[in-house]
Amino acid sequence: MKDNGYLDDRSRAGLHPIAELRGVSKRFGDVLAADNLDLSISSGEFLSFLGPSGCGKTTALRMLAGFETPTSGEVLIDDQVVNDLEAHRRPVNMVFQSYALFPHLTVEQNIGYGLRQQRPRLGKDTIREKVGQALDVVRLSGFEKRRIWEMSGGQQQRVALARAIVNQPKLLLLDEPLAALDRKLRKEMQIELQDLQRQIGITFVLVTHDQEEALSLSDRVCVMGEGRIIQIGTPQELYDSPRSRYVADFVGTSNFFEGRVTASGAGRATVVLKNGMPVEGRVTAEAAPAGEACVSVRPEQIRLSRSDRTGIEVVVHNRIFLGEHTEYLVRNGTLGDFLVLSPRQSELNDGPFNTGETAWASWEAGSAVVLEKS
Amino acid sequence: MRLYAIFVYLFLYTPIAIIALFSFNAGRHASQLQGFSLKWYGTALSNPFVMDALETSIVVGLIAATLASLFGTMAAVALQGVRGPVRALFDMMIYVAVMIPGIVIGIATLIALVTAFDHLNPWLAAIWPTQSAPQLSMGKLSLIGAHTMFTMALVIIIVRARLSGMDRALTEASADLYATPMTTFLRVTLPLIAPAILAGFLLSFTFSFDDFIIAFFVAGSETTLPIYVFSSIRRGVTPEINAIGTMVLAVSLVLLIIAQLILRRSDNR
Ligand SMILES: Nc1ncnc2c1ncn2[C@@H]1O[C@H](COP(=O)(O)OP(=O)(O)OP(=O)(O)O)[C@@H](O)[C@H]1O
Ligand SMILES: [Mg+2]
Repeated sequence: MKDNGYLDDRSRAGLHPIAELRGVSKRFGDVLAADNLDLSISSGEFLSFLGPSGCGKTTALRMLAGFETPTSGEVLIDDQVVNDLEAHRRPVNMVFQSYALFPHLTVEQNIGYGLRQQRPRLGKDTIREKVGQALDVVRLSGFEKRRIWEMSGGQQQRVALARAIVNQPKLLLLDEPLAALDRKLRKEMQIELQDLQRQIGITFVLVTHDQEEALSLSDRVCVMGEGRIIQIGTPQELYDSPRSRYVADFVGTSNFFEGRVTASGAGRATVVLKNGMPVEGRVTAEAAPAGEACVSVRPEQIRLSRSDRTGIEVVVHNRIFLGEHTEYLVRNGTLGDFLVLSPRQSELNDGPFNTGETAWASWEAGSAVVLEKS
Repeated sequence: MRLYAIFVYLFLYTPIAIIALFSFNAGRHASQLQGFSLKWYGTALSNPFVMDALETSIVVGLIAATLASLFGTMAAVALQGVRGPVRALFDMMIYVAVMIPGIVIGIATLIALVTAFDHLNPWLAAIWPTQSAPQLSMGKLSLIGAHTMFTMALVIIIVRARLSGMDRALTEASADLYATPMTTFLRVTLPLIAPAILAGFLLSFTFSFDDFIIAFFVAGSETTLPIYVFSSIRRGVTPEINAIGTMVLAVSLVLLIIAQLILRRSDNR
């Protein structure tokens, strides 16, 4: 049973799907780059494909754009099966990772390229006006006559964006559009992207392997692995209720404690950890795991204490001061190392802890998630 | 190693330098320098046989280079879509075409054309309405044909290098922006490979303009500049010949340098 996340989300219920993948697979020789993808993209949403390198994110995007034909399954745009529709006939636009700006054309000509292909032809003035508006949106007015190589990386990125949005596509596809930018510029562009999407209301599909980027920008994130969709949900759903160890590990940071399930029911399960300690956690998958399982706990949900001697006894192994938080790497003889993130507030009450000090780690029952072992 | 290289270059370029030097010699004898003069250039350029040969060379060179650029570009673009063993076969044939010595191409083209003409001429005479049917024979056309075929391989290699250096995303971006494959070719691919085509054209012209060996076999009664030079030196090396040689050299060098600059500049973009 695969969940497409679409029906779950009441805020989007009733919205029209602008594009759909139905059982789409793509094979390159021996590599199954896309494995039975099911996905429905709602009009106006900001969706991200998130996953490690080579998991098939670009392939999924290229099938939407029309650069790859699925080996099986159907791609729909606006309720029409478009498997055999060539890229130049699809009402979608793409922002390429390398930007793919035309080096022999000016900024203005690059942005107007798509408009000039429209039939019936648009008037020169209409094109100029639309290009001007698009330049305004990406804050590049005055750069019309520049050559591409005279623009900085961030500016090129915005030209690429303008070149796509000026056509008001039904779907804007972005393949790691910010990957080539330095950290500071990337942050700025992330905010701009999000503003832009709200402002123009075009559906965005973003490919990224940066989980922070996916979580901060998207309405929904589609976590992928080895050509498959592992889980789709809002950033919060993925963070709070990962359905597999893969998602818990990939989205945010998590600690995993292995053990055996001794009891389960009503969306909860009890796991006895290797040190004999029973812990309770939520079950997020359809069925509670039987036998071997692992318990996932986010570092910020673990509390370290000196006085309250409940939970897991640990030795503080390393301490990193992060300003608002302090990150501890703690060690338990049987359970191994794990991370604890203490907010400054609790540090004032019961901290800070020094390296080598013994402390007690505990968490609220509701914050742990019981998952399949792998 | 340095010294060795210097000797190699001396060996290669001394004769050329001597020809250039003696082309400016005021005296008539190739054995002694008697002061600077441009008179042999004047003599060469006012010689009707030289001018005829020059005209033939330029016409043949321009037509051959144009055809080679056109077909070479078409072949390079078409080969882009070909993969696997077929591609390997074509690649091999292109490189072989460049590496085969000119004399082999000359003889092979001669034999092929003579054989073809021998078969075609009676047939042409038979279907021709009047008595005086034209005879196919060696001449400008066979020369243009041979030069086109040989230089086409050069154009293919140069244009293909440029094509494969081109970001595939550019043509995809064009398609993504609603351009048909034809529009994409005309508005994206062609402008981007234009420098390579131009460089290929210049190299082809240079090759044709310089070529003696192939021309010697297939030119029939036509005289190109290199053929004229060759036939004149059988009557002895005159300062006039030196002047012609120097001019051919200068034209070739200038074109080659321009071609290099075009390629280099387009690579930097
Ligand atoms: N044209 C192709 N021919 C052969 N194999 C391909 C082709 N395109 C992609 N693949 C393979 O398909 C798999 C998925 O590739 P894809 O580019 O979709 O990954 P990705 O998730 O975008 O990775 P990255 O984050 O590195 O860009 C990879 O194993 C890749 O090698
Ligand atoms: Mg990719």
